[in-house]
Amino acid sequence: MTPAAIEVSGLRKTYASAFGRRRIAALNGVDLRVAPGELFGLLGPNGAGKTTTVKILLGLTRATAGTAAISGLPVGDPESRRRVGYLPEGHKIPGYLTARQALSIFGRMSGMDRATIDRRSVELLEKLRIAAWIDVKVRKFSKGMTQRLGLACALVHSPDVLLLDEPTDGVDPVGRREIRDILREEARNGTAVLLNSHLLSEIELTCDRVAVLRKGEVAAAGTIDELTKKSPKFKMVATPIDESLLAGFRSTGAGVERVNGHLLLSVTDAEHLNALIDRTRAAGSLVTELSPMRSTLEDVFVDLIKASGDSEVGGADAGPARPPVSVGSASAELPFAGNLSSARNHEDAQ
Amino acid sequence: MRVLLANFEDVMREAAARWTLVAYFALTTIFIVIFASAVNLDIVNGALAGAKLFGKEVQMHGNPMAIDKLVLGFESGFSAVIYLLGTFLAIFATAHLVPRLQEKGTIDLYLSRPVGRTRLLLSRYIAGLLLASINVGYLIGSIWLIVIWKTHVFHPRFLLGGVVILFVIATLLAFAFLVGVVTSTTAVSIMSTYAIFFFAAVLVGHERIAAAVSHEWQAALINSLYWIFPKTAELGQAVVALVSGGEAPERLSAVLTPAPFVTTAIFAVVCLVLASWLFEKKEF
Repeated sequence: MTPAAIEVSGLRKTYASAFGRRRIAALNGVDLRVAPGELFGLLGPNGAGKTTTVKILLGLTRATAGTAAISGLPVGDPESRRRVGYLPEGHKIPGYLTARQALSIFGRMSGMDRATIDRRSVELLEKLRIAAWIDVKVRKFSKGMTQRLGLACALVHSPDVLLLDEPTDGVDPVGRREIRDILREEARNGTAVLLNSHLLSEIELTCDRVAVLRKGEVAAAGTIDELTKKSPKFKMVATPIDESLLAGFRSTGAGVERVNGHLLLSVTDAEHLNALIDRTRAAGSLVTELSPMRSTLEDVFVDLIKASGDSEVGGADAGPARPPVSVGSASAELPFAGNLSSARNHEDAQ
Repeated sequence: MRVLLANFEDVMREAAARWTLVAYFALTTIFIVIFASAVNLDIVNGALAGAKLFGKEVQMHGNPMAIDKLVLGFESGFSAVIYLLGTFLAIFATAHLVPRLQEKGTIDLYLSRPVGRTRLLLSRYIAGLLLASINVGYLIGSIWLIVIWKTHVFHPRFLLGGVVILFVIATLLAFAFLVGVVTSTTAVSIMSTYAIFFFAAVLVGHERIAAAVSHEWQAALINSLYWIFPKTAELGQAVVALVSGGEAPERLSAVLTPAPFVTTAIFAVVCLVLASWLFEKKEF
């Protein structure tokens, strides 16, 4: 069996203050599995544990409990990082280096020979459209260019696993699309990509699967389609609609809302919906449009965070943790599914 | 080896980008050029018959000096100056290596590579030491060659002084790395390393200081600190004694025993081991 590109099991991390008087649980039993060639998004509000998870994967910090492995190797082994490319948020590639020198230094630190680095550097910088700047000092780069170079540094040794923290930060819209294309291409070639971003639209456009972290736990995980699946909410346009009809709808237990000349119906299932249509037609009204509403990832995310009833930044005090949410690679649990019905609709926002 | 070379290139490029190092090389070069052009010696039968300094005749009062002794005297005195200046400049030019490495946004880039932390730290230590060696070697080597050119006196012992200076720099750099790992601050690394240098030098008189204190535990503490800290004063004397050879005063030759070297080396090794251990344990 091919090992998962990234496998995290029961990961816990507790930070203690100087004399151990106050303990903060940053991770409370996180399970994740990212397969080779998968584009995986890690979401969560500030302090949810995203960065801590990535730092543990890179050996920058150590887990209090649980296991983490990259390509089957425990993260404590430096060899596990041989095939890992990392783009940290707010990275500082030394300004005194040129792009070529930076790629050369970081490439050699990953065990590459100079000839391969030279070839790969030109190839990557051309792809990222900064080839003309190859011999310019990094300190002269704009933020977007620095970000592109950071991505080149992460890709220079053709890694099997890419960990990216806000990769499109500061990059113009065209550049973002190019970066997305590069990530998709890497994934097609078998690279597992773990994307950590606050730009939910970016994740939605790029990733195959996502996990939402909340207070150090996986609050939800699944494919984008699963998470933003059609909610039991429908948009209905019909004429005429009078209040007595709406009262009739409500009497069946349906949620009814008038929005910009149409109705927003919350129903329990398809039969319920059909019953409402029958009532409409029986009342002499004509249904001209009926469409299921779809939540955006942002809707799902906001609902999840609101559902926690606590918008405070940071982890929770350490204590007995809830059992971690298990995230399978094929079918994901959706413990928040009930919240989807209250999801704010993307189309409404428009 | 690739990791070491990559780190060395990184350290050298950073050094080249820093004005302190450029200024150091510029000042050293100016000093060397002035020294080479200002001193003109008239040597007859191995003795200094006349000398011109900045074009002005130096009065010899009809007593020719043995050029060998003159060179020895100059090199001994100069090695003492380089000991102090070279050590201080080397620490100033390299103490930032760990704090800069540990900066947020930078450390992630280095530690995400398949390199063990101890290996990363030690490769930067070696790179820093090589940089210091180039600094000291440039100054000592240039002066040595100029002396040979001007006097035809070949005195390899002068270079031995450079080896001891590098040994002291290696020790103090290990301490600067330890402070750098703990505090992540260049200024604190530099200041505490200079403080150790002077404090350890004061402790050369530990016996007299211990005799002057009122409690026995204070005397024990002072004597213990003397043995723990590097022997910066004795090693400075050792530089002069090594360069002077048989001509060195007895009080200087007396320090040429293994004890100051061994205890200083132990201090350096302990600092490096401690720095590596803390760096391994540190969370970023």
